[in-house]
Amino acid sequence: MESIISDYCIIKPHKVTVNGKTEITDTEKSEFGAFMKSIYKHYEIKYPKYFKMDNLCKIAFLASEIILKNNNAIQEINPDRVGVIIQNSHSSLDTDSKYYETIKDKSNYFPSPAVFVYTLPNVMIGEICIRNKFQGENTCFISRDFDPEFLTDYVNELLDSDKIDACITGWADYIEGEYSAILFLVRKNKENKKDNISFKPEIINRLIN
Amino acid sequence: MDNIVRVADNIITSLGFSTKENFENLKQGKSGIQLTTDPKITQVPMPCSQVDSEKLNAEFSKIGNSDQFTRLEKMMILSIQDSVNHSGIDPSKEDSLFVFSSVKGNIDLIEDENHPFEKERINLWAIAEKVSGFFNSKTKPIFVSNACISGATAIITAAQYLANKKYKHAIVCGGDIISEFTPSGFQSFKAVSDEPCKPFDASRTGITLGEGVGTIILSTDKNAVKEENPVVFRGGANTNDANHISGPSRTGDGLYFAIKKAFKQAGKSDTNIDYISAHGTATPYNDEMESKAISWAKLNHVPVNSLKGYWGHTLGAAGIIECIAGIHSIKENCLIKSLGYSEHGVSEPLNVIKNFEEKEIRNFLKTASGFGGSNAAVYFSTLNAD
Repeated sequence: MESIISDYCIIKPHKVTVNGKTEITDTEKSEFGAFMKSIYKHYEIKYPKYFKMDNLCKIAFLASEIILKNNNAIQEINPDRVGVIIQNSHSSLDTDSKYYETIKDKSNYFPSPAVFVYTLPNVMIGEICIRNKFQGENTCFISRDFDPEFLTDYVNELLDSDKIDACITGWADYIEGEYSAILFLVRKNKENKKDNISFKPEIINRLIN
Repeated sequence: MDNIVRVADNIITSLGFSTKENFENLKQGKSGIQLTTDPKITQVPMPCSQVDSEKLNAEFSKIGNSDQFTRLEKMMILSIQDSVNHSGIDPSKEDSLFVFSSVKGNIDLIEDENHPFEKERINLWAIAEKVSGFFNSKTKPIFVSNACISGATAIITAAQYLANKKYKHAIVCGGDIISEFTPSGFQSFKAVSDEPCKPFDASRTGITLGEGVGTIILSTDKNAVKEENPVVFRGGANTNDANHISGPSRTGDGLYFAIKKAFKQAGKSDTNIDYISAHGTATPYNDEMESKAISWAKLNHVPVNSLKGYWGHTLGAAGIIECIAGIHSIKENCLIKSLGYSEHGVSEPLNVIKNFEEKEIRNFLKTASGFGGSNAAVYFSTLNAD
């Protein structure tokens, strides 16, 4: 059965696009932290744990919030049947470097569990699952570049084999001030409608460019 | 599912460079964990399981140039080479897929400003490209990084991907090395034991870290195996317990769901399991949570062990090498003693294996849990098992 993109969000430097529509343009060209904070405020997100997250989790989390906020489609699905499958290039390397700074100098040695826990890329998936109580398939894939062909193959197989009914999937990456997130809510197609967007690589490539 | 067969495998740890060597040591109850005071690894004395560097370089120099690959890549290449040698599969053909898993990859490069490798080598995908490139692979490798369940996830991913028939064979390889990075982090969590870890024991105080690599070759081609009754992948699932990023669920619900879903994929409705290879890290919370999940799945009667007392917690390798050991428990019909266990220390009754035992084993379940709330279960059995 074909699966469809029910919603999608793209966060790139200074711009947030939701379902094809530009919702935020940051004309001041703020740095990452300030830009993320403005997104958090714009969508009136209230989740204090956000402020503890590292940069990778922040961008992935915000993209998921934008998609899922007031989303009727997701309300109908058992959270146990929602997967979160995200791809990324730089793993948690940005936080790895920050963590390493805390242990590098033995005369100033202060490893912090609060930083160490973010030295895992799949923690961004954990944050999204905790927020939404999603308990389905969850995997973090690492790839040089965003790979819609692989991701559609994999996620469609999960949907087709009835392991999940819906999936938050796509891409989230952060390294040294460079960032991007492309997240989709994908679900099984229930009825054929003209404006359905198929979850296929060629469609994704069109949507993100 | 009964169409994915295990073709060949390899384990590299402190206990040897082949599955045979490792499994013999497990059968004899021999641990590879030793106390280390190496300042490049730990600031306080710490038990840990390490791969012999001299042997690694000596073995690697027989097949490649030791200076061109990192420590982890060398282990991965040796492990894949040994598995391929026992498989009859040509990894350079377009029907072979590589699936890798690692938690921290070449993290030792971050600690050495003068390392001779290119900057991008710190990326996990660079490892996949280098290692699959060594075997002249023509297909794009897949890389999984799912914290401590990475190895189990890689096996599930491979099986899932083989199911859509783009590839015939999957070479699944996972591993991690021990450097300064990981021990310091787990120590900051106060999660590292002062003595070799004691999974499920009343006096357990935490994990023992280990390094290693495992490779398992899976195939949908029945002709790839010569055995009449091969071990097959039946089902597997990854779930999230959606509880806390650094602590497991108190109820074990996430892991229980993973077991349930793995059985569902296998079409299994009974609790007829001969052996469970648990995650059993020996932290107070993990083992307690696991006992609850096993109890919830009504598997308390099933012989269970944790292999962490032999080779420590090998992170990205753990799910793979522990599945391989389970497969060899099936093939050799024996149960490996759960090293470090003497007094029951979890709230639910479990049938923890106290002594090595020869017994008919036809089906086995592997469980894993990790940071980020992740849980996984993988179920293997012989082709003829019900």
